Amino acid sequence: MSAGYNFGFLDEHAKKEVRRAILKAISIPGYQVPYSSREMPMGRGFGTGGLQITLSLIGANDTLKVIDQGSDDSVNAVNLRQFIEMTCPGIDTTTRLSEATLIQSRHRIPETPLKPEQVLVLQVPYPDPLVVVEPSEDKRKIMHGEADYARLLVKLYEDIVKFDEITISHRYPTRINDHYVIDPSPIPRWDVPKLDNSPALILFGAGREKKIYAVPPHTKGEPLAFEDVPFRVEDFRDAQGKRRACARCGATDTFLDEFMNEDGSKRYQCSDSDYCDETLEADMMTEATTHA
Amino acid sequence: MSNNFKAALQSTLSGIWQADTQQRTFRQIMNAFARPGVIETLEGEFLEGDGMLLTLATLLDGATTLADVDGLLSEHDLARLEVSTLAAEQARFVLTHGKVAPAFMPSLGTLESPDTGATIILKIQEIGSGNRLKLTGPGVDGACEVAVNGLHPAWLAAHQEWNSAFPLGVDMLLVAEHQVMALPRTTRIEEIK
Ligand SMILES: [Zn+2]
Repeated sequence: MSAGYNFGFLDEHAKKEVRRAILKAISIPGYQVPYSSREMPMGRGFGTGGLQITLSLIGANDTLKVIDQGSDDSVNAVNLRQFIEMTCPGIDTTTRLSEATLIQSRHRIPETPLKPEQVLVLQVPYPDPLVVVEPSEDKRKIMHGEADYARLLVKLYEDIVKFDEITISHRYPTRINDHYVIDPSPIPRWDVPKLDNSPALILFGAGREKKIYAVPPHTKGEPLAFEDVPFRVEDFRDAQGKRRACARCGATDTFLDEFMNEDGSKRYQCSDSDYCDETLEADMMTEATTHA
Repeated sequence: MSNNFKAALQSTLSGIWQADTQQRTFRQIMNAFARPGVIETLEGEFLEGDGMLLTLATLLDGATTLADVDGLLSEHDLARLEVSTLAAEQARFVLTHGKVAPAFMPSLGTLESPDTGATIILKIQEIGSGNRLKLTGPGVDGACEVAVNGLHPAWLAAHQEWNSAFPLGVDMLLVAEHQVMALPRTTRIEEIK
């Protein structure tokens, strides 16, 4: 990278535009604020929306954590982290949630509750939950303004009639502050309750669609549901009804990824690798103390 | 040295036009909007009144519009901000004194684009003492209390009236010396008598 780039890659005017959009996003919880997304030196769909928010927020005092599907070590997370390190000299990076001031993530909200002084930035591929029922953006904007989600609810109900439950595994439509319904990005249902009364500010960036939205701290976040078919998170019980545990750290209270062993049997492991590592280390500490 | 020139020189030297200062200030302003009732004290060494100029320098540039209703800015600072000026009824940002009642009707945005509702920046005397307010709404854990000094009660009535049809509305940022506190459109304000 040539030394000709501004700190944070974006020029100061681009940052100011993103910053102004963020303040309106916070003031109108769940509303998708339009902004003019800049060209980034990576394809859209690689988290450019989240990246532009992060680059507009970050300063030399920040410690950044980048997560992709729960892991700090995936190619996407490593690429994004290296890009930010290169364009923001002086910042620190970490894989430890507890050390981070800024967290950019794709597909997961960390298992450990966020702290009030942290900011979570989620990458969003498709920001508008109404797209499945209304192709015209102009009409969708009016529907959002009026909080008219009748057609979206009908669509959800059709799912229930067909499958006996709501089958949406990711991007579960969630109503914020009793008005706007958001696409919470491709987080699993497991993470949706974390949007409700969050201790930390959560920002969403969609680079391709050029939208920024927010769930402020201590704000109501309610997954759409029906009285007879309540919202449920993923069920990790086995055939005997026993909660599956992480094969690595033993946790029975986390979102588990499923892997296939060579013999065809299944193996389960925490999706949040930092949480898994910390649980494992804590266990080893306890063991060391016990045997001392 | 004329006072104007001295002020201009010192504001140039104080770092408020520098990117890293504005980045830190933005984070404080963002936290204020995310947590109504939280008072942020802007960091750094500034001249008296520069908390306001720093706030404006952080938020504004040539891509947005400002109405300086009470003429709080010098021509030098206005030029330096590069912002286009518009009437208070149309501007995206409105700068005004909090001690006098509002005499204008700001943009409340539209149903489709409520983000075009104005951000009103109010210069007041002090935050942390004065008339006590109880705040509830997004960003507030239950309820919180904050005191403000030098805010005409008509502003509280205006906040309620302009924000009575969510998502339409205005968002307010109070600035007193180096302190800032936000009252976004979602905040419900009760005066504690
Ligand atoms: Zn584990």
